[in-house]
Amino acid sequence: MILRRVQYELAGRAVAPVLAAIEDWQRRHRKRSARESPFAPPLESLQDLKALMTSHYLQGRYADGAVPVAWVTSGFPVEFLRTLGFHTVYPENHAAMCSVQRIVPGLSDAVEARGYSRDLCSYVRADLGSIETGRSPVGRLPRPDLLACCTNICQTVLYWYRDLARRFGVPLVLVDTPFVYGEPTAHATRYVVDQLEEGIAVAERVARRPLDREALSETARLSREGSQLWGECLATARNRPAPWTGVDGFFHLGAVVALRGTEACNAYYRTLLDELRDRVRKGIGGLRGEERHRLVWDNLPVWFATREITTLLGAHGFNFVCTTYTNAWAEASSGIDPSDPLGSAATTYAQILLNRDLPNKLRLLGRMAREFEADGAVLHSDRSCKPYSIGQVDLKDRLSAEVGVKAVLLEADHGDPRAWASEVAQNRLGAFMESFG
Amino acid sequence: MTREPYIRRQREEHGRKAVAVLPIHYPKELLTALDLLAVELWGPPGSPRGDAAGRIQPYVCSVVRNALGFLATGGADAVDAALFPHTCDSIQQLATLVADFGGWSKPAIPYLHPRDPGRASARRFARAELRAVASRLEAIAGRSLDEDRLASAVALHREVDAARAALLDGRATLPLADVELYALLRRGEWLWPEDHLAELRLAAARLGTGKPPARVPVLVTGYVPEPAGMLAVLNGAGAWVAADDYAAVGRRVARPTGPPASDPWEAVLERQLASPPCPTRSVDQDARMRHLASLLERSGSRGVIVHVVKFCEPELFDVPAIRRTFEAREVPLLYLESELERQLSGQAETRIEAFAEMLAGSGGAA
Ligand code: SF4
Ligand code: SF4
Repeated sequence: MILRRVQYELAGRAVAPVLAAIEDWQRRHRKRSARESPFAPPLESLQDLKALMTSHYLQGRYADGAVPVAWVTSGFPVEFLRTLGFHTVYPENHAAMCSVQRIVPGLSDAVEARGYSRDLCSYVRADLGSIETGRSPVGRLPRPDLLACCTNICQTVLYWYRDLARRFGVPLVLVDTPFVYGEPTAHATRYVVDQLEEGIAVAERVARRPLDREALSETARLSREGSQLWGECLATARNRPAPWTGVDGFFHLGAVVALRGTEACNAYYRTLLDELRDRVRKGIGGLRGEERHRLVWDNLPVWFATREITTLLGAHGFNFVCTTYTNAWAEASSGIDPSDPLGSAATTYAQILLNRDLPNKLRLLGRMAREFEADGAVLHSDRSCKPYSIGQVDLKDRLSAEVGVKAVLLEADHGDPRAWASEVAQNRLGAFMESFG
Repeated sequence: MTREPYIRRQREEHGRKAVAVLPIHYPKELLTALDLLAVELWGPPGSPRGDAAGRIQPYVCSVVRNALGFLATGGADAVDAALFPHTCDSIQQLATLVADFGGWSKPAIPYLHPRDPGRASARRFARAELRAVASRLEAIAGRSLDEDRLASAVALHREVDAARAALLDGRATLPLADVELYALLRRGEWLWPEDHLAELRLAAARLGTGKPPARVPVLVTGYVPEPAGMLAVLNGAGAWVAADDYAAVGRRVARPTGPPASDPWEAVLERQLASPPCPTRSVDQDARMRHLASLLERSGSRGVIVHVVKFCEPELFDVPAIRRTFEAREVPLLYLESELERQLSGQAETRIEAFAEMLAGSGGAA
């Protein structure tokens, strides 16, 4: 146990920074491809992000046996777990890495052979496939002592985590957030608070220590600050030209998803914010050339094809300046009140985008289009994510009719390239760009 | 009589308003107590009506796409409101899509039942949610809910459950073909409970009068027995449904072990908890597997048919566990996916026939 703890600390504090420094050195001395890219050089902060995430995942390799480990859904009110000293693992984040590396088909095959349908969310197939095959872009994930699942993003996670609980034989903490039609009801909010208290009791048993409520307030404060800093980073793209592309945000999002509620996360976003603001001052845009049209992206990224999509559009002066997906984490814990960490978490986490009705989503898209001065929107119709995708056909029409934004539906899947038809997508995006004249 | 004339007659003769109800679980006692006729909407099967279904992507289940088409083309105009139980992500989204963006202009009432309903927090929420739904239904009915009437409705639905359970359990000696039995049970999706109970009792009087079919008994689990022609194919191929775990049928037959709670609201929740495990409510997959294994044993079924709707995540997530459960018992399993077609595809027909033949060949009829 002590040795394991030493390894865990060393991995985070010593080894990861060295690896990051080596990677940085290699990057600086790597010959750049002659291929013309429509994008400005990557942000310097990217190295800090890589160091942070490398440290997190490297520590994770030694976490089991050293500290309690929780596998957590992206929208889970993580603050109490953090305060209890859990090392948190986000299978969605891990599945996104599998998607970027295009290894999902192989992982999916492994679980399809066991009866899992290809029609299930590709994050689930990637994650369960990784457990079945032992293949992972990060070497290995630590074994969980606890599973923490919040249904504010979908019901899929409930089935996914139930499966994980069976595999690992560990407790599952469920926070069921009733869907919000219009405004949340008092009894729904109370239900979420009650579940948080029930979840805390389970997590305390697993962590073998009581929750320090004062420390929880501090974690809540950090969490809120992290979300707000992330929101400020995103808001820099309201400038013309936007200092980065919204799609950069997909990658820089990693910290607020996986390390929300830590000072390390917030320190990273301060660095990023400084750099973005510096770019704004200097008039440096995310695109090398002129930013002719500004777009909103809706839904998860097509992780394995983001470069393909953004390059095609970027080459013609189309830049994604905001996305509903990255914005979700700016809202995730921004409403948390450190003086009422559970009550405010219940209200805030239950009202994230995916747990609210379609008029709310339309309002959000409209507001984003106005605030970021976007004149177009690409709505990724994600075969894997029904809660995010149902309603997009109407949203597309209403964006045009009510907000005056040209919109297109792009059929894909966030993780499984077998559902991606590159040529069809290029034709559709080509026609979309032509419609701007 | 079919649904629409029946709804009209209920209105004319009893002054009853009607509420369309999306699948699966809902507190029907509340509607009965308020004199509201529940008319369930499982699709309906066939191609979607009109082109409104195109507002939902084709990778979403046909139950939801067809329901959108049906509602948006006026198919449910005979009713006064629609109730959307929080069954899955797709129905949840349908509720906001059709109510907020067009297709349904009458009241749309969500019913948010909790996941893992046995937890203390979930029970408290469920009680409060019942009251919230009741007050929305009161507005439709134009009357307030009387607790004595609610207690009577609880008692009535327990009788309906008991009669349905008796028919399903005594199936072997009930001289009805599967198609006939399912037609009878599924009329409960829209008949007034007393009318349904009368029909059930007539059928129950015939229990014990038939001989166990000289066919292979099978357990069927899945979503909804559509197309109904599948049952005829099954019977024609020499098999019969000896045990049922369809979400639309057996999974909604509560089997309480004691008398109802004196508080009728509590009794409504009890009835829900006394229903067989369903993935859309419970997180306890093992409980469902135990239930299926016991259904198999009690019925003497020789094979299992898993019949799910394509893209239905709640059901699809249980398929690996169902496979494991029956593989471990060396029980043959047929997996069928359908899209609420009106007709069984030739391929599905062949697979059912081959499955039944295989079962008959391996020790066969009971
Ligand atoms: S991608 Fe969609 S369906 Fe999959 S886990 Fe995330 S929210 Fe749920
Ligand atoms: S078939 Fe499945 S996905 Fe479709 S409405 Fe029913 S429970 Fe939901």
